[in-house]
Amino acid sequence: MSGLKLRGVRKSFGSVEVIKGVDLDIASKEFVVFVGPSGCGKSTLLRMIAGLEAITGGELHIGDELMNDVDPSKRGIAMVFQTYALYPHMTVRENMGFALRFAKVPKDEIKRQVDEAARILELGPLMDRRPKELSGGQRQRVAIGRAIVRHPEVFLFDEPLSNLDAELRVHMRIEIARLHKELKTTIIYVTHDQVEAMTLADKIVVLRDGVVEQVGTPLQLYDNPDNLFVAGFIGSPKMNFLKGIMENGAVRLPDYENRIVPTGVRAADGTPVTVGIRPEHFKEGGSAALPLTVDIVEHLGGETYAYARHGNGDLLTLATGNDRAVGSGDSYEAKFDPASMLIFDAGGLRIR
Amino acid sequence: MTTTETSAGVVRRSTTSAMNPHILFRSLQRALLYIALSIAAFISIFPFYWMVVGSTNTSPDIAHGKASPGSYLFQNVAAFFATVDVPRMFWNSALLALVGVALTLIVSSLAGYGFEMFKSRFRDRIFGFLLLMLSIPFAALMVPLFIMMSNLKLINTFTAVLLPGIASIFIIFYFRQATKAFPGELRDAARIDGLNEWQIFVYVYLPVMRSTYAAAIIIIFMANWNSYLWPLIILITEENKTVTLIVSALSYAYVPDYGVIMISAVFATLPTVLIFFLLQRRFVEGMLGSVK
Repeated sequence: MSGLKLRGVRKSFGSVEVIKGVDLDIASKEFVVFVGPSGCGKSTLLRMIAGLEAITGGELHIGDELMNDVDPSKRGIAMVFQTYALYPHMTVRENMGFALRFAKVPKDEIKRQVDEAARILELGPLMDRRPKELSGGQRQRVAIGRAIVRHPEVFLFDEPLSNLDAELRVHMRIEIARLHKELKTTIIYVTHDQVEAMTLADKIVVLRDGVVEQVGTPLQLYDNPDNLFVAGFIGSPKMNFLKGIMENGAVRLPDYENRIVPTGVRAADGTPVTVGIRPEHFKEGGSAALPLTVDIVEHLGGETYAYARHGNGDLLTLATGNDRAVGSGDSYEAKFDPASMLIFDAGGLRIR
Repeated sequence: MTTTETSAGVVRRSTTSAMNPHILFRSLQRALLYIALSIAAFISIFPFYWMVVGSTNTSPDIAHGKASPGSYLFQNVAAFFATVDVPRMFWNSALLALVGVALTLIVSSLAGYGFEMFKSRFRDRIFGFLLLMLSIPFAALMVPLFIMMSNLKLINTFTAVLLPGIASIFIIFYFRQATKAFPGELRDAARIDGLNEWQIFVYVYLPVMRSTYAAAIIIIFMANWNSYLWPLIILITEENKTVTLIVSALSYAYVPDYGVIMISAVFATLPTVLIFFLLQRRFVEGMLGSVK
């Protein structure tokens, strides 16, 4: 199995640069997720790895081979598309064996490999159906099956679950995780859904405007984001951001009656900062507190989220530790441990 | 009291009279619509009916406007076969129509596919220029085309009949529009599966777009089968002439036999009717868009 190496990879469409120099190492058998908002270039980067988009600058290595100008079918990759891209005029079996047919693999060998993929994905009874006779989840499994049959070094998934309903999405997510364990291949997976990224990835690559913002394991990104963008993007519900000013080794919160919250972070007095607090970091026993009024309450059963604000300030999201008694209009003393605060400078970079 | 009653009566009357014109208007509207549709249907169907009925009547009957079926069908058919070389003219027309369909489909569908799939700075400018060419009437092109064919020594050949129609701007346009609905990810998937551009066209695009092709077959077949002016100019000898040329020539006779003309028209119409009914479902799908 192969890893990948990207060095200064760039992509321009005319004068517009969409990938602005990506350096990335992906180890063999790693499950890497590219995540970012719409238009950040994650799908373009994946298509460049696949060979469907030309690389304007930089180098792409799959294994030890430079792949910049190699035909997509010779890169040792297989791709699963958002719309599945199954050939509508072929049966499931024909769809899955199509690539092998063109690789001049003998018929009985094609059958053996297609049957093997069908077994892994439990597609047995569907083999003679056409794509239009399948449900969304089944089509997705066929698309994955078509990829498996090619025995690729690297699997590429382009937002494969975004056309499925919520329940099926969770189911397929687990299927893909299981598949990764069983096949032990390198997987690059593109999504805008950070829950998918957190649950599937060995390593997450957060992209914004064609630039890699941070690379790390899901928990590294969650606990230790490098900047405001990553802090805001990773985590659901989102991290809360408060305006602050550094003063004598503490943060003054001007929107919260100038409350002073001590912090271990060092910055010059008077430095304007942004304070990040995750919803679940508001909990009983914290030494700092914000006096808030609850606006809206969301009961999810296992957790209760309160959306609360101070005066006319920003709406903060609080995980209440499933406090079902909390109601709209209640005063709420949102306590938190100052050590859980993340501090960012005016440029959005983390101050550690 | 009386006033109240009267006023109440007035109110009631006014309510009913407000309903009536509305319903009346709707009924009238519907009646007018059906009358208009019936007239349109009559105008469309009558020539066809007249042709079929005429083929069963004698020439004098037709000349006198007899519009009911007669018993002269077999005599007309026999006279038709005796007057012209029917197998030959059908063979000529069929050959031209079918080869024309094949060549036009290959060239024009490839062009339409190419225009949509391959991006280039000049793509839309070239396409705009092509569309502009649609506005040039054939009459203006006829003489230059004839001179061209003459220089190529192609007068009185089927090649000359077929050549100008192969790159049909309308069919290119039609295929480009249809290709817009062809999912780009299918092409990507095929590229990853190891197909080159030709193989993608043949093994993926063509079968996926079969309804578009079916509609195009009907359009091109009809256009070629019914083509009159250009073959009339290019084809000179009798053994090369097509159905439309020979059928129309029948009416040039000193004493035209309308029965024979009608039966020849029936025979001339049959292939297009047949091909339309064979491909009707696909034709409708194709016109609505192939990809679902």
